[in-house]
Amino acid sequence: MAKYYDIDDILADEELVPAVFLEAVNGVGLLQSNETNRIEPRSKVELPFWLASELHLRQAASVNVPPCYNKKTREEIGADGAHVDLRSRCSYFYQLGCKIVQLIGDKTIGSLLLVAFQIRYKEVLIKAHTSASILGPKFLSLLTKEETKLYDAAKSSTAAFKSWRMGGPRFQKASVLGRKRKPIGE
Amino acid sequence: MYGRKASQLLKEFVSGEPGQLTGFNNDVFAQVIEECDGNILHLQALLRKMQEEGSNNQTNKNADHFGALVHHLSLVRNKRCLMAYVYNRAEVIQNLGWTIKHADLPAAVKEKLSISENEYFGKHSSNLQSYMLDLNLDLAVDMVPPKDPYIKVRVLEEIGEVLLSDQIANLAMHSILFLKRIDAESFISQGKMEELTS
Amino acid sequence: MSGQSDPRGSAFSAAELEFLAEDEMIEIVPNLRIKPLSLICGDFGPFQPQIPTQVPIWLAVALKKRGKCTIRPPDWMSVEKLTQVLEAERDSASSFEALPFHYVEISRLLFDHARDDVPEVYMVRSLIEDIKDVRFHKIGTGLEKLSSRTYAMKLNLSAMEVNVIRPFVTGSLETFYELTAPEIIQESQREEYRRPQTADRGPRRELRR
Repeated sequence: MAKYYDIDDILADEELVPAVFLEAVNGVGLLQSNETNRIEPRSKVELPFWLASELHLRQAASVNVPPCYNKKTREEIGADGAHVDLRSRCSYFYQLGCKIVQLIGDKTIGSLLLVAFQIRYKEVLIKAHTSASILGPKFLSLLTKEETKLYDAAKSSTAAFKSWRMGGPRFQKASVLGRKRKPIGE
Repeated sequence: MYGRKASQLLKEFVSGEPGQLTGFNNDVFAQVIEECDGNILHLQALLRKMQEEGSNNQTNKNADHFGALVHHLSLVRNKRCLMAYVYNRAEVIQNLGWTIKHADLPAAVKEKLSISENEYFGKHSSNLQSYMLDLNLDLAVDMVPPKDPYIKVRVLEEIGEVLLSDQIANLAMHSILFLKRIDAESFISQGKMEELTS
Repeated sequence: MSGQSDPRGSAFSAAELEFLAEDEMIEIVPNLRIKPLSLICGDFGPFQPQIPTQVPIWLAVALKKRGKCTIRPPDWMSVEKLTQVLEAERDSASSFEALPFHYVEISRLLFDHARDDVPEVYMVRSLIEDIKDVRFHKIGTGLEKLSSRTYAMKLNLSAMEVNVIRPFVTGSLETFYELTAPEIIQESQREEYRRPQTADRGPRRELRR
Protein backbone atom coordinates (compact mmCIF):
# COMPACT_ATOMS: atom_id res chain seq x y z
CA MET A 1 0.00 0.00 0.00
CA ALA A 2 3.03 2.18 -0.20
CA LYS A 3 1.66 3.91 -3.24
CA TYR A 4 -1.85 4.47 -1.90
CA TYR A 5 -1.50 8.26 -1.83
CA ASP A 6 0.76 8.45 -4.89
CA ILE A 7 -1.03 10.74 -7.34
CA ASP A 8 0.95 9.56 -10.36
CA ASP A 9 0.07 5.98 -9.60
CA ILE A 10 -3.59 6.92 -9.29
CA LEU A 11 -3.60 8.89 -12.54
CA ALA A 12 -1.80 6.10 -14.40
CA ASP A 13 -4.69 3.85 -13.31
CA GLU A 14 -7.10 6.28 -14.95
CA GLU A 15 -5.75 5.57 -18.48
CA LEU A 16 -8.26 3.76 -20.67
CA VAL A 17 -7.62 0.23 -21.84
CA PRO A 18 -9.70 -1.90 -24.23
CA ALA A 19 -11.59 -4.75 -22.60
CA VAL A 20 -14.22 -7.31 -23.49
CA PHE A 21 -16.84 -8.33 -20.96
CA LEU A 22 -17.04 -12.08 -20.32
CA GLU A 23 -20.01 -11.86 -17.96
CA ALA A 24 -23.24 -9.93 -17.97
CA VAL A 25 -23.34 -7.03 -15.54
CA ASN A 26 -26.52 -5.54 -14.12
CA GLY A 27 -27.33 -2.12 -12.82
CA VAL A 28 -24.31 -0.09 -13.88
CA GLY A 29 -24.19 3.10 -15.92
CA LEU A 30 -20.83 2.44 -17.50
CA LEU A 31 -21.91 2.72 -21.10
CA GLN A 32 -23.57 5.72 -22.58
CA SER A 33 -26.81 5.27 -24.52
CA ASN A 34 -27.60 2.24 -22.47
CA GLU A 35 -31.07 2.45 -21.07
CA THR A 36 -31.32 -0.91 -19.43
CA ASN A 37 -28.08 -0.33 -17.47
CA ARG A 38 -27.13 -3.88 -18.34
CA ILE A 39 -23.94 -4.93 -20.07
CA GLU A 40 -24.06 -8.10 -22.15
CA PRO A 41 -21.18 -10.55 -22.42
CA ARG A 42 -18.83 -9.94 -25.35
CA SER A 43 -19.45 -6.17 -25.21
CA LYS A 44 -16.31 -4.35 -26.24
CA VAL A 45 -15.59 -1.30 -24.10
CA GLU A 46 -12.84 1.03 -23.02
CA LEU A 47 -12.45 1.05 -19.27
CA PRO A 48 -10.05 2.87 -16.95
CA PHE A 49 -7.28 0.53 -15.85
CA TRP A 50 -8.34 0.49 -12.18
CA LEU A 51 -11.69 -1.03 -13.13
CA ALA A 52 -10.55 -3.19 -16.05
CA SER A 53 -7.75 -4.85 -14.08
CA GLU A 54 -10.00 -5.84 -11.18
CA LEU A 55 -12.64 -7.26 -13.54
CA HIS A 56 -9.88 -9.09 -15.42
CA LEU A 57 -8.62 -10.71 -12.22
CA ARG A 58 -12.15 -11.92 -11.44
CA GLN A 59 -12.71 -13.23 -14.97
CA ALA A 60 -15.57 -10.84 -15.50
CA ALA A 61 -13.77 -9.10 -18.36
CA SER A 62 -10.64 -9.61 -20.41
CA VAL A 63 -8.14 -6.79 -20.88
CA ASN A 64 -6.48 -6.37 -24.27
CA VAL A 65 -3.20 -4.64 -24.96
CA PRO A 66 -3.84 -0.91 -25.45
CA PRO A 67 -3.09 0.45 -28.93
CA CYS A 68 -0.12 2.51 -27.67
CA TYR A 69 1.91 -0.71 -27.37
CA ASN A 70 0.99 -2.00 -30.83
CA LYS A 71 3.17 -2.90 -33.76
CA LYS A 72 3.05 0.60 -35.23
CA THR A 73 4.42 2.21 -32.08
CA ARG A 74 7.09 -0.49 -31.89
CA GLU A 75 8.21 0.26 -35.42
CA GLU A 76 8.26 3.98 -34.87
CA ILE A 77 10.32 3.63 -31.71
CA GLY A 78 12.69 1.31 -33.54
CA ALA A 79 13.09 3.85 -36.32
CA ASP A 80 13.39 7.15 -34.45
CA GLY A 81 12.48 6.57 -30.83
CA ALA A 82 13.49 9.97 -29.59
CA HIS A 83 10.94 11.84 -31.66
CA VAL A 84 7.85 9.71 -31.25
CA ASP A 85 4.97 11.53 -29.63
CA LEU A 86 4.31 9.16 -26.76
CA ARG A 87 2.34 11.60 -24.66
CA SER A 88 -0.63 11.73 -27.00
CA ARG A 89 -0.67 7.92 -27.05
CA CYS A 90 -0.45 7.45 -23.31
CA SER A 91 0.83 10.02 -20.84
CA TYR A 92 1.87 7.27 -18.42
CA PHE A 93 3.43 5.08 -21.11
CA TYR A 94 5.93 3.35 -18.80
CA GLN A 95 3.85 3.03 -15.64
CA LEU A 96 0.77 1.76 -17.45
CA GLY A 97 2.98 -0.55 -19.52
CA CYS A 98 4.42 -2.15 -16.40
CA LYS A 99 0.94 -2.63 -14.97
CA ILE A 100 -0.32 -4.24 -18.19
CA VAL A 101 2.65 -6.62 -18.33
CA GLN A 102 2.00 -7.71 -14.78
CA LEU A 103 -1.69 -8.20 -15.47
CA ILE A 104 -1.55 -10.18 -18.71
CA GLY A 105 2.05 -11.36 -18.71
CA ASP A 106 3.04 -10.14 -22.17
CA LYS A 107 6.73 -9.49 -21.63
CA THR A 108 7.31 -8.18 -25.13
CA ILE A 109 5.72 -4.96 -23.87
CA GLY A 110 8.36 -4.88 -21.15
CA SER A 111 11.16 -4.96 -23.68
CA LEU A 112 9.44 -2.28 -25.74
CA LEU A 113 9.35 -0.04 -22.65
CA LEU A 114 13.02 -0.66 -21.93
CA VAL A 115 14.14 0.03 -25.49
CA ALA A 116 12.04 3.19 -25.63
CA PHE A 117 13.40 4.53 -22.37
CA GLN A 118 16.97 3.65 -23.28
CA ILE A 119 16.71 5.77 -26.41
CA ARG A 120 14.62 8.59 -25.04
CA TYR A 121 16.25 9.41 -21.72
CA LYS A 122 19.39 10.56 -23.55
CA GLU A 123 17.36 13.04 -25.50
CA VAL A 124 15.79 14.30 -22.28
CA LEU A 125 19.25 14.68 -20.75
CA ILE A 126 20.71 16.60 -23.69
CA LYS A 127 17.72 18.91 -23.98
CA ALA A 128 17.55 19.59 -20.25
CA HIS A 129 21.18 20.65 -20.05
CA THR A 130 21.57 22.51 -23.31
CA SER A 131 18.40 24.22 -24.43
CA ALA A 132 17.50 27.46 -22.79
CA SER A 133 13.84 27.49 -23.62
CA ILE A 134 13.99 27.99 -27.36
CA LEU A 135 13.15 24.50 -28.55
CA GLY A 136 11.26 23.80 -25.35
CA PRO A 137 7.54 23.57 -26.05
CA LYS A 138 7.59 21.32 -29.12
CA PHE A 139 10.00 18.81 -27.66
CA LEU A 140 8.25 18.80 -24.29
CA SER A 141 4.91 17.99 -25.87
CA LEU A 142 6.29 14.61 -26.96
CA LEU A 143 7.31 13.51 -23.48
CA THR A 144 5.33 11.23 -21.23
CA LYS A 145 4.67 12.24 -17.61
CA GLU A 146 7.57 10.11 -16.41
CA GLU A 147 9.96 11.71 -18.88
CA THR A 148 8.72 15.19 -18.09
CA LYS A 149 9.53 14.58 -14.43
CA LEU A 150 13.12 13.64 -15.29
CA TYR A 151 13.42 16.67 -17.54
CA ASP A 152 12.16 18.99 -14.83
CA ALA A 153 14.49 17.43 -12.27
CA ALA A 154 17.53 17.93 -14.47
CA LYS A 155 16.43 21.42 -15.45
CA SER A 156 15.79 22.65 -11.94
CA SER A 157 19.01 21.26 -10.43
CA THR A 158 20.99 22.95 -13.20
CA ALA A 159 19.10 26.19 -12.70
CA ALA A 160 19.67 26.06 -8.93
CA PHE A 161 23.40 25.65 -9.49
CA LYS A 162 23.50 28.57 -11.91
CA SER A 163 21.64 30.89 -9.60
CA TRP A 164 24.01 29.99 -6.75
CA ARG A 165 26.97 30.85 -8.94
CA MET A 166 25.46 34.21 -9.83
CA GLY A 167 25.15 35.02 -6.15
CA GLY A 168 22.37 37.22 -4.88
CA PRO A 169 19.96 37.04 -1.97
CA ARG A 170 20.12 33.84 0.04
CA PHE A 171 16.81 34.37 1.77
CA GLN A 172 13.62 34.10 -0.20
CA LYS A 173 9.98 34.81 0.35
CA ALA A 174 7.97 31.72 1.28
CA SER A 175 7.05 30.05 -2.00
CA VAL A 176 3.40 29.68 -1.03
CA LEU A 177 3.01 33.45 -1.06
CA GLY A 178 3.72 33.48 -4.77
CA ARG A 179 6.74 34.76 -6.60
CA LYS A 180 5.37 38.09 -7.68
CA ARG A 181 7.09 40.98 -6.04
CA LYS A 182 5.12 43.92 -4.96
CA PRO A 183 5.91 46.85 -7.19
CA ILE A 184 8.00 49.29 -5.21
CA GLY A 185 6.27 52.49 -4.28
CA GLU A 186 2.81 51.04 -4.19
CA MET B 1 -17.59 6.92 -16.24
CA TYR B 2 -17.25 6.28 -12.53
CA GLY B 3 -14.20 7.80 -10.89
CA ARG B 4 -13.65 10.39 -13.62
CA LYS B 5 -14.52 13.41 -11.48
CA ALA B 6 -12.29 12.22 -8.66
CA SER B 7 -9.33 11.94 -10.98
CA GLN B 8 -10.00 15.46 -12.26
CA LEU B 9 -9.60 16.65 -8.70
CA LEU B 10 -6.12 15.14 -8.58
CA LYS B 11 -5.18 16.44 -12.02
CA GLU B 12 -6.07 19.91 -10.82
CA PHE B 13 -3.83 19.44 -7.79
CA VAL B 14 -0.77 18.36 -9.78
CA SER B 15 -1.22 21.07 -12.40
CA GLY B 16 -0.33 23.72 -9.82
CA GLU B 17 3.26 24.73 -9.14
CA PRO B 18 5.01 22.46 -6.62
CA GLY B 19 4.72 23.81 -3.11
CA GLN B 20 1.80 26.02 -4.12
CA LEU B 21 -1.82 25.34 -3.31
CA THR B 22 -4.78 25.62 -5.59
CA GLY B 23 -8.08 26.44 -3.94
CA PHE B 24 -9.83 23.53 -2.26
CA ASN B 25 -12.36 22.42 -4.84
CA ASN B 26 -15.49 22.08 -2.74
CA ASP B 27 -17.74 21.65 -5.76
CA VAL B 28 -16.03 18.69 -7.36
CA PHE B 29 -15.30 17.19 -3.95
CA ALA B 30 -19.03 17.22 -3.17
CA GLN B 31 -19.86 15.80 -6.60
CA VAL B 32 -17.55 12.85 -6.00
CA ILE B 33 -19.22 12.18 -2.69
CA GLU B 34 -22.56 12.35 -4.44
CA GLU B 35 -21.29 9.75 -6.91
CA CYS B 36 -20.26 7.57 -3.96
CA ASP B 37 -23.77 7.89 -2.47
CA GLY B 38 -25.16 6.75 -5.80
CA ASN B 39 -22.79 3.76 -5.82
CA ILE B 40 -23.91 2.77 -2.34
CA LEU B 41 -27.59 2.93 -3.28
CA HIS B 42 -27.05 0.75 -6.33
CA LEU B 43 -24.84 -1.63 -4.41
CA GLN B 44 -27.42 -2.04 -1.65
CA ALA B 45 -30.25 -2.48 -4.14
CA LEU B 46 -28.36 -5.22 -5.99
CA LEU B 47 -27.41 -6.99 -2.77
CA ARG B 48 -31.01 -6.86 -1.57
CA LYS B 49 -32.26 -8.25 -4.86
CA MET B 50 -29.79 -11.12 -4.66
CA GLN B 51 -30.88 -11.84 -1.09
CA GLU B 52 -34.52 -11.90 -2.08
CA GLU B 53 -33.79 -14.28 -4.92
CA GLY B 54 -31.93 -16.41 -2.41
CA SER B 55 -28.82 -16.60 -4.53
CA ASN B 56 -25.52 -17.08 -2.75
CA ASN B 57 -23.11 -14.28 -3.47
CA GLN B 58 -20.11 -16.58 -3.08
CA THR B 59 -21.06 -19.41 -5.40
CA ASN B 60 -23.52 -17.96 -7.87
CA LYS B 61 -21.78 -15.18 -9.74
CA ASN B 62 -24.60 -13.72 -11.78
CA ALA B 63 -25.01 -10.37 -13.49
CA ASP B 64 -26.18 -8.79 -10.24
CA HIS B 65 -23.06 -9.97 -8.48
CA PHE B 66 -20.82 -8.30 -11.06
CA GLY B 67 -22.96 -5.16 -11.00
CA ALA B 68 -22.44 -4.95 -7.27
CA LEU B 69 -18.73 -5.56 -7.82
CA VAL B 70 -18.43 -2.61 -10.21
CA HIS B 71 -20.11 -0.30 -7.68
CA HIS B 72 -17.86 -1.59 -4.94
CA LEU B 73 -14.72 -1.00 -7.02
CA SER B 74 -15.92 2.47 -7.91
CA LEU B 75 -16.40 3.28 -4.23
CA VAL B 76 -12.90 2.07 -3.38
CA ARG B 77 -11.46 4.06 -6.27
CA ASN B 78 -13.27 7.28 -5.36
CA LYS B 79 -12.23 6.89 -1.76
CA ARG B 80 -8.58 6.53 -2.77
CA CYS B 81 -8.75 9.65 -4.94
CA LEU B 82 -10.37 11.75 -2.21
CA MET B 83 -7.93 10.50 0.40
CA ALA B 84 -4.96 11.25 -1.85
CA TYR B 85 -6.31 14.75 -2.54
CA VAL B 86 -6.70 15.55 1.14
CA TYR B 87 -3.44 13.84 2.13
CA ASN B 88 -1.25 15.56 -0.46
CA ARG B 89 -2.74 18.95 0.34
CA ALA B 90 -2.15 18.31 4.03
CA GLU B 91 1.54 17.71 3.28
CA VAL B 92 1.83 21.10 1.62
CA ILE B 93 0.00 22.71 4.54
CA GLN B 94 2.34 21.09 7.07
CA ASN B 95 5.35 22.48 5.24
CA LEU B 96 3.74 25.90 5.36
CA GLY B 97 4.10 25.80 9.12
CA TRP B 98 7.87 26.02 8.80
CA THR B 99 7.86 29.22 6.81
CA ILE B 100 4.92 31.15 8.13
CA LYS B 101 2.88 31.36 11.30
CA HIS B 102 -0.85 30.78 11.20
CA ALA B 103 -1.60 34.35 12.24
CA ASP B 104 0.58 35.75 9.46
CA LEU B 105 -1.09 33.83 6.68
CA PRO B 106 -2.41 36.30 4.11
CA ALA B 107 -6.10 36.18 3.28
CA ALA B 108 -5.39 35.25 -0.34
CA VAL B 109 -3.80 32.00 0.79
CA LYS B 110 -6.27 31.39 3.57
CA GLU B 111 -9.12 31.41 1.06
CA LYS B 112 -7.57 28.43 -0.67
CA LEU B 113 -7.89 26.23 2.40
CA SER B 114 -11.04 24.37 3.33
CA ILE B 115 -12.45 24.95 6.80
CA SER B 116 -10.92 21.82 8.25
CA GLU B 117 -7.61 22.47 6.50
CA ASN B 118 -7.53 25.89 8.07
CA GLU B 119 -8.12 24.37 11.48
CA TYR B 120 -5.47 21.72 10.81
CA PHE B 121 -2.93 24.36 9.86
CA GLY B 122 -3.75 26.42 12.94
CA LYS B 123 -3.29 23.45 15.27
CA HIS B 124 -0.19 22.18 13.51
CA SER B 125 1.33 25.63 13.60
CA SER B 126 0.59 26.13 17.30
CA ASN B 127 1.93 22.66 18.11
CA LEU B 128 5.16 23.58 16.37
CA GLN B 129 5.33 26.85 18.26
CA SER B 130 4.79 25.26 21.65
CA TYR B 131 7.32 22.54 20.89
CA MET B 132 9.90 25.17 20.00
CA LEU B 133 8.98 27.09 23.12
CA ASP B 134 9.62 23.97 25.21
CA LEU B 135 12.97 23.49 23.53
CA ASN B 136 13.67 27.18 23.86
CA LEU B 137 14.91 27.01 20.28
CA ASP B 138 13.47 28.46 17.09
CA LEU B 139 13.73 25.58 14.63
CA ALA B 140 12.37 27.65 11.77
CA VAL B 141 15.38 29.96 11.46
CA ASP B 142 18.55 29.21 9.52
CA MET B 143 16.72 27.20 6.88
CA VAL B 144 19.48 28.54 4.65
CA PRO B 145 22.92 27.80 6.15
CA PRO B 146 24.02 30.83 8.15
CA LYS B 147 26.80 33.18 7.12
CA ASP B 148 27.15 36.48 8.91
CA PRO B 149 25.07 37.27 11.95
CA TYR B 150 23.97 40.54 10.32
CA ILE B 151 22.48 41.05 6.87
CA LYS B 152 21.44 44.10 4.89
CA VAL B 153 17.74 44.33 4.10
CA ARG B 154 15.27 46.67 2.48
CA VAL B 155 11.84 47.03 4.06
CA LEU B 156 9.10 46.51 1.47
CA GLU B 157 6.06 47.17 3.63
CA GLU B 158 5.38 49.57 6.47
CA ILE B 159 6.02 47.50 9.59
CA GLY B 160 6.48 50.16 12.24
CA GLU B 161 8.31 49.94 15.54
CA VAL B 162 9.30 46.44 16.48
CA LEU B 163 11.21 44.94 19.36
CA LEU B 164 14.04 42.91 17.88
CA SER B 165 16.46 40.71 19.75
CA ASP B 166 19.07 43.45 20.09
CA GLN B 167 17.28 46.72 19.50
CA ILE B 168 13.98 48.50 19.00
CA ALA B 169 13.86 49.37 15.33
CA ASN B 170 11.55 51.51 13.27
CA LEU B 171 10.92 49.45 10.17
CA ALA B 172 9.59 52.08 7.80
CA MET B 173 8.90 51.27 4.19
CA HIS B 174 11.89 51.63 1.81
CA SER B 175 14.39 51.96 4.64
CA ILE B 176 17.60 50.00 4.27
CA LEU B 177 19.16 48.63 7.43
CA PHE B 178 21.44 46.04 8.96
CA LEU B 179 19.50 43.54 11.03
CA LYS B 180 20.35 40.39 12.86
CA ARG B 181 19.83 37.56 10.42
CA ILE B 182 17.52 35.68 12.78
CA ASP B 183 15.33 38.77 13.18
CA ALA B 184 15.10 39.42 9.46
CA GLU B 185 14.47 35.88 8.32
CA SER B 186 10.78 35.68 9.19
CA PHE B 187 10.07 39.12 7.72
CA ILE B 188 11.72 38.03 4.49
CA SER B 189 9.77 34.80 4.25
CA GLN B 190 6.57 36.81 4.74
CA GLY B 191 7.61 39.03 1.87
CA LYS B 192 7.84 42.19 4.02
CA MET B 193 11.57 42.62 3.46
CA GLU B 194 14.13 41.61 0.90
CA GLU B 195 17.78 40.79 1.38
CA LEU B 196 20.26 43.07 -0.33
CA THR B 197 23.59 41.77 -1.48
CA SER B 198 26.45 44.07 -2.19
CA MET C 1 20.14 18.86 7.27
CA SER C 2 19.91 17.61 3.73
CA GLY C 3 16.98 18.99 1.84
CA GLN C 4 15.75 21.59 4.30
CA SER C 5 15.39 24.02 1.47
CA ASP C 6 13.58 21.44 -0.62
CA PRO C 7 11.16 19.49 1.54
CA ARG C 8 10.27 16.99 -1.17
CA GLY C 9 13.72 16.29 -2.50
CA SER C 10 16.76 14.63 -1.09
CA ALA C 11 19.35 16.81 -2.81
CA PHE C 12 21.47 19.33 -1.00
CA SER C 13 21.02 22.92 -2.00
CA ALA C 14 24.09 24.70 -3.36
CA ALA C 15 24.12 26.90 -0.27
CA GLU C 16 24.24 23.80 1.94
CA LEU C 17 27.22 22.43 0.02
CA GLU C 18 28.95 25.76 0.35
CA PHE C 19 28.38 25.54 4.09
CA LEU C 20 30.02 22.11 4.18
CA ALA C 21 32.94 23.36 2.10
CA GLU C 22 33.54 26.10 4.66
CA ASP C 23 34.84 23.43 7.03
CA GLU C 24 37.82 22.68 4.77
CA MET C 25 41.12 23.99 6.13
CA ILE C 26 43.05 26.80 4.53
CA GLU C 27 46.22 28.72 5.37
CA ILE C 28 46.01 32.33 6.48
CA VAL C 29 48.60 34.93 7.46
CA PRO C 30 47.22 37.02 10.32
CA ASN C 31 48.26 40.63 10.67
CA LEU C 32 47.54 40.95 14.36
CA ARG C 33 47.93 39.05 17.57
CA ILE C 34 44.98 36.96 18.86
CA LYS C 35 44.99 34.33 21.58
CA PRO C 36 44.17 30.74 20.55
CA LEU C 37 40.47 30.19 19.84
CA SER C 38 38.92 27.15 21.46
CA LEU C 39 35.84 26.35 19.41
CA ILE C 40 33.49 23.38 19.27
CA CYS C 41 35.09 22.25 16.01
CA GLY C 42 38.64 22.52 17.34
CA ASP C 43 41.35 24.84 18.60
CA PHE C 44 42.86 27.40 16.24
CA GLY C 45 45.71 29.82 16.63
CA PRO C 46 47.49 31.41 18.35
CA PHE C 47 47.51 34.08 15.69
CA GLN C 48 50.66 36.14 15.31
CA PRO C 49 51.49 38.67 12.62
CA GLN C 50 53.28 37.13 9.62
CA ILE C 51 53.13 33.59 11.05
CA PRO C 52 50.97 31.38 8.77
CA THR C 53 48.41 29.12 10.42
CA GLN C 54 45.63 26.72 9.36
CA VAL C 55 41.97 27.56 9.96
CA PRO C 56 38.61 26.48 8.49
CA ILE C 57 37.52 28.56 5.52
CA TRP C 58 34.57 30.10 7.36
CA LEU C 59 36.95 31.50 9.97
CA ALA C 60 39.40 32.65 7.31
CA VAL C 61 36.61 34.51 5.49
CA ALA C 62 35.32 36.09 8.71
CA LEU C 63 38.82 37.35 9.60
CA LYS C 64 39.46 38.48 6.04
CA LYS C 65 36.23 40.48 5.93
CA ARG C 66 37.41 42.41 8.95
CA GLY C 67 40.84 42.95 7.40
CA LYS C 68 42.65 40.85 9.96
CA CYS C 69 44.45 38.40 7.68
CA THR C 70 45.38 37.48 4.16
CA ILE C 71 44.35 34.11 2.77
CA ARG C 72 46.87 31.86 1.01
CA PRO C 73 45.10 30.15 -1.86
CA PRO C 74 45.56 26.36 -1.89
CA ASP C 75 48.28 24.86 -4.12
CA TRP C 76 45.90 23.65 -6.78
CA MET C 77 44.60 27.20 -7.32
CA SER C 78 47.59 28.39 -9.33
CA VAL C 79 47.65 29.19 -13.02
CA GLU C 80 50.31 26.54 -13.56
CA LYS C 81 48.45 23.69 -11.82
CA LEU C 82 45.09 24.61 -13.31
CA THR C 83 46.50 24.79 -16.83
CA GLN C 84 47.80 21.26 -16.39
CA VAL C 85 44.44 20.09 -15.11
CA LEU C 86 42.58 21.74 -17.96
CA GLU C 87 44.85 20.13 -20.56
CA ALA C 88 44.47 16.73 -18.97
CA GLU C 89 40.69 17.17 -18.82
CA ARG C 90 40.62 18.02 -22.52
CA ASP C 91 42.91 15.16 -23.49
CA SER C 92 40.84 12.43 -21.95
CA ALA C 93 37.28 11.97 -23.06
CA SER C 94 36.24 9.90 -20.11
CA SER C 95 38.51 10.32 -17.11
CA PHE C 96 38.39 13.15 -14.62
CA GLU C 97 41.33 14.83 -12.95
CA ALA C 98 41.53 14.70 -9.18
CA LEU C 99 40.49 18.08 -7.87
CA PRO C 100 39.43 18.82 -4.30
CA PHE C 101 35.95 17.50 -3.53
CA HIS C 102 34.73 21.07 -2.95
CA TYR C 103 36.75 22.88 -5.63
CA VAL C 104 33.71 24.66 -7.07
CA GLU C 105 32.59 26.03 -3.71
CA ILE C 106 36.07 26.88 -2.41
CA SER C 107 36.99 28.79 -5.54
CA ARG C 108 33.78 30.78 -5.39
CA LEU C 109 34.30 31.60 -1.71
CA LEU C 110 37.80 32.87 -2.40
CA PHE C 111 36.78 34.85 -5.47
CA ASP C 112 34.00 36.48 -3.49
CA HIS C 113 35.92 37.35 -0.37
CA ALA C 114 39.65 37.26 -1.07
CA ARG C 115 40.18 38.12 -4.70
CA ASP C 116 43.14 40.36 -3.83
CA ASP C 117 44.91 37.37 -2.24
CA VAL C 118 44.69 35.17 -5.34
CA PRO C 119 47.57 35.83 -7.75
CA GLU C 120 46.45 36.34 -11.35
CA VAL C 121 42.86 36.10 -10.19
CA TYR C 122 41.26 36.68 -13.60
CA MET C 123 43.31 33.94 -15.20
CA VAL C 124 42.64 31.53 -12.33
CA ARG C 125 38.98 32.29 -12.47
CA SER C 126 38.61 31.68 -16.17
CA LEU C 127 40.67 28.49 -15.95
CA ILE C 128 38.36 27.13 -13.27
CA GLU C 129 35.33 28.11 -15.36
CA ASP C 130 36.81 26.27 -18.35
CA ILE C 131 37.65 23.19 -16.29
CA LYS C 132 34.16 23.16 -14.90
CA ASP C 133 32.59 23.45 -18.36
CA VAL C 134 34.75 20.69 -19.82
CA ARG C 135 33.92 18.44 -16.92
CA PHE C 136 30.18 19.11 -17.09
CA HIS C 137 30.26 18.35 -20.78
CA LYS C 138 32.01 15.06 -20.09
CA ILE C 139 29.52 14.21 -17.37
CA GLY C 140 26.73 14.81 -19.86
CA THR C 141 28.23 12.46 -22.45
CA GLY C 142 29.03 9.96 -19.71
CA LEU C 143 25.41 9.93 -18.58
CA GLU C 144 24.27 9.08 -22.07
CA LYS C 145 25.90 5.71 -21.54
CA LEU C 146 23.92 5.16 -18.38
CA SER C 147 21.82 2.04 -18.46
CA SER C 148 20.31 -0.61 -16.31
CA ARG C 149 23.75 -2.20 -16.40
CA THR C 150 25.17 0.65 -14.40
CA TYR C 151 25.66 -0.47 -10.83
CA ALA C 152 28.21 2.05 -9.73
CA MET C 153 30.21 4.81 -11.22
CA LYS C 154 33.70 5.53 -10.05
CA LEU C 155 34.40 9.07 -11.04
CA ASN C 156 36.50 11.84 -9.67
CA LEU C 157 33.43 14.00 -9.43
CA SER C 158 33.19 16.86 -6.99
CA ALA C 159 30.40 17.55 -4.52
CA MET C 160 28.74 20.20 -6.64
CA GLU C 161 28.94 18.16 -9.84
CA VAL C 162 27.38 15.16 -8.17
CA ASN C 163 24.68 17.32 -6.65
CA VAL C 164 23.66 18.84 -9.98
CA ILE C 165 23.24 15.48 -11.72
CA ARG C 166 21.78 13.62 -8.75
CA PRO C 167 18.06 14.16 -9.41
CA PHE C 168 18.33 13.08 -13.03
CA VAL C 169 20.59 10.10 -12.41
CA THR C 170 18.64 8.66 -9.51
CA GLY C 171 15.36 9.16 -11.39
CA SER C 172 16.70 7.44 -14.51
CA LEU C 173 18.27 4.54 -12.65
CA GLU C 174 15.04 4.01 -10.77
CA THR C 175 13.12 3.76 -14.04
CA PHE C 176 15.71 1.37 -15.48
CA TYR C 177 15.43 -0.71 -12.36
CA GLU C 178 11.65 -0.89 -12.63
CA LEU C 179 11.73 -1.76 -16.31
CA THR C 180 14.23 -4.60 -15.86
CA ALA C 181 12.37 -6.26 -12.99
CA PRO C 182 11.93 -10.03 -13.57
CA GLU C 183 8.16 -9.69 -13.88
CA ILE C 184 8.49 -7.07 -16.64
CA ILE C 185 10.96 -8.46 -19.18
CA GLN C 186 12.19 -11.85 -20.36
CA GLU C 187 14.93 -13.49 -18.38
CA SER C 188 17.21 -13.71 -21.43
CA GLN C 189 16.92 -10.01 -22.12
CA ARG C 190 17.32 -9.25 -18.46
CA GLU C 191 20.63 -11.10 -18.39
CA GLU C 192 21.80 -9.08 -21.32
CA TYR C 193 20.86 -5.81 -19.67
CA ARG C 194 22.02 -6.58 -16.19
CA ARG C 195 25.43 -8.01 -16.85
CA PRO C 196 27.50 -6.65 -14.00
CA GLN C 197 29.50 -3.84 -15.38
CA THR C 198 30.70 -0.68 -13.80
CA ALA C 199 31.59 2.40 -15.70
CA ASP C 200 35.19 2.48 -14.60
CA ARG C 201 36.76 5.84 -14.95
CA GLY C 202 40.16 5.81 -13.35
CA PRO C 203 41.28 5.27 -9.81
CA ARG C 204 38.91 5.54 -6.91
CA ARG C 205 39.21 8.78 -5.02
CA GLU C 206 38.75 9.43 -1.41
CA LEU C 207 35.58 11.32 -0.72
CA ARG C 208 37.14 13.93 1.45
CA ARG C 209 40.60 15.21 1.79
